[in-house]
Amino acid sequence: MKYYLYWGCSLEGTGANFLQSLRPACEALGMEFEEIEDWNCCGASVSYAGASDLAIKVLNARNLAMAEAKGNYDIVAPCSSCYIQLIKVNHEIKENPDLLKQVNDCLAEGGLHYKGGIRVRHIQDVLYNDIGVEKIRARVTKPLNGLKIAGYVGCQSVRPYGEYDSTVKPVVQDRLLAALGAEPVPFAKKISCCGSGIFLPEMDYCMGLVKDILEDALGHGAKLVSTVCPMCAMNLEMYQDRINKKYGIQLDVPIVYLTQLMAVAFGLDLKKDAALDRNVIPPEAILKEAVG
Amino acid sequence: MAAYEPSFAQEVSGKVDFGDEIKMCMQCGVCAGSCPLRDQMDYPPRQIFSLVRAGKREEVLGSKAILLCTSCYTCVVKCPRKVPVMDVMHGLAHYALAQGYVSRKDTASFGQEFWKQVYRLGRVDEKDLPRRVFFADGVVNGIKKMLDFMDVGIKLLLHRRMKLLPERKIKGIQSLRKMLDKAEKKGKGGTEA
Repeated sequence: MKYYLYWGCSLEGTGANFLQSLRPACEALGMEFEEIEDWNCCGASVSYAGASDLAIKVLNARNLAMAEAKGNYDIVAPCSSCYIQLIKVNHEIKENPDLLKQVNDCLAEGGLHYKGGIRVRHIQDVLYNDIGVEKIRARVTKPLNGLKIAGYVGCQSVRPYGEYDSTVKPVVQDRLLAALGAEPVPFAKKISCCGSGIFLPEMDYCMGLVKDILEDALGHGAKLVSTVCPMCAMNLEMYQDRINKKYGIQLDVPIVYLTQLMAVAFGLDLKKDAALDRNVIPPEAILKEAVG
Repeated sequence: MAAYEPSFAQEVSGKVDFGDEIKMCMQCGVCAGSCPLRDQMDYPPRQIFSLVRAGKREEVLGSKAILLCTSCYTCVVKCPRKVPVMDVMHGLAHYALAQGYVSRKDTASFGQEFWKQVYRLGRVDEKDLPRRVFFADGVVNGIKKMLDFMDVGIKLLLHRRMKLLPERKIKGIQSLRKMLDKAEKKGKGGTEA
C-alpha cells in the first residue's frame, strides 16, 4: 500500500530516531512511501503568536494541494503536530465551504488549488486499520515477551477529532504494543499533556506535567514509555535530569518510539533500523533482555 | 455598579480569530477543569470569556493565561457547548501580541520566531529557533540562557538528533510567501484588522 509520508521538520532533527525506524518498520509490513515534493512546515502549535488562523490554514493547504495534484494517496503524518495541523484544515473546510474558497483564493497566488479530497492519517491509524494487528503479529520474529511498556498517547494524535481512536480512552497504541508481544500497562496519565510546543519557553511550569506522566507510568510497572510524537519524546526524554533535580526524584526511564519497538520485534537491525543508539536514555539493554 | 460595556466583546467577536465563538460559552468551567496549566493561569479560559463579556480589555489582553495554552485540545473535546476554547485562546494571544501586549515574553518570542522562520524558509530550523528565542531578551540574557541549555544541546548533538547543516529555503518559498501575505490581508487579528 502506498502513502505520502509527510514527516515534517522535527523528524529530520530531534525526532530523527522516529523517521529512521519508521521507514524500515513500515516497509517490512509492505507499506510504500512517497515524499510530498517541496513540502513546507505545518506551523506546529505555536504559530498563532505570529500568524492569523487563515495563514496557518493556507500553509497547510499548500501541502494538501500539492499532494492532491500529484496522486491519490493518503498522507501519513507521523508527527502529531503535523497530523493535527493538516487534518484541521480538512475538518474546518468541510464545516465551512466559505473557508475553502478563502483558502483557495490564497493558494491561487502560487498557482495551486485544493479540492478537499486528500485524506490525512496518523501513523497509528494506518498501522491499526490498514495493516491490522494480525498482520503485525505475524511479522514479529522477536516478540517483546511481556515487557511492560506504558503507551503514552499524548494529545494531538487523537484529539480533538478522534478519527481512529477514542479521545478519552484510546486503545490503539496498546493493541499495537500487544501485537509486538509487549504488555501495555494501564496508566491514567496516558492522555495528559506533556507541555507540547511550549515546554521549552515554559519549562518551570511544564516539568511538573512530565514528572506526573512518568511517575504514573513507572508506578504501574512500566520499564519503557512508548510514544508516537516527536514533541512528547523530546519533552519526556530530554529533561529527566532537570526534573530529578527540581523535585528530588530519580527518573531514568527510556522513551522509545512505537516504530523503534516494531523494528526490534521484527528482528531488524538495532542500530541501522531501530536507531536505538540515537536515544539519549538508552533502551537497548532492556529490549535485548526482553527479546532474549 | 458599572454599566454593561459591550464594545470589547464586539471588538473580540469581529477582530479575533474564533472570537465570535465566545458567545456560546455558558460559564460551566469544564475548560478550566481540564486544562493542564490551569494552576499557572491568572484567569482560566472560563474567566477570560467572562472578562471579555464584562469589557475588561486590559485584563484579557494582558493576561498570562492566553499565552499558556499547550494546545492539548482537551478543552475543545470537553466543552459541552462545542466552543473551540483552544482556538479562541490562540486568537486572543495573536490579537494581544499584535496590539503590543506581551504577558509571557519567552513563549511570545518562541511563537513569533517560529512563524518568522516558517515565512523565511518554509521550514523550521530546530537549532536556530532556541538561539533566536534566547537572544530576543538581549545579549547578556541570551548567553546566560544559552549556557543553561547547553546540556540539552550536547545530548542532542551526541545522539545525532540535531541537524548540523542550516535549514535551506524550500524551492517554492516565493510563492508560499505570496500565499501567506494574501492570507494575512484577509485574515483576522493583525494590526490592520
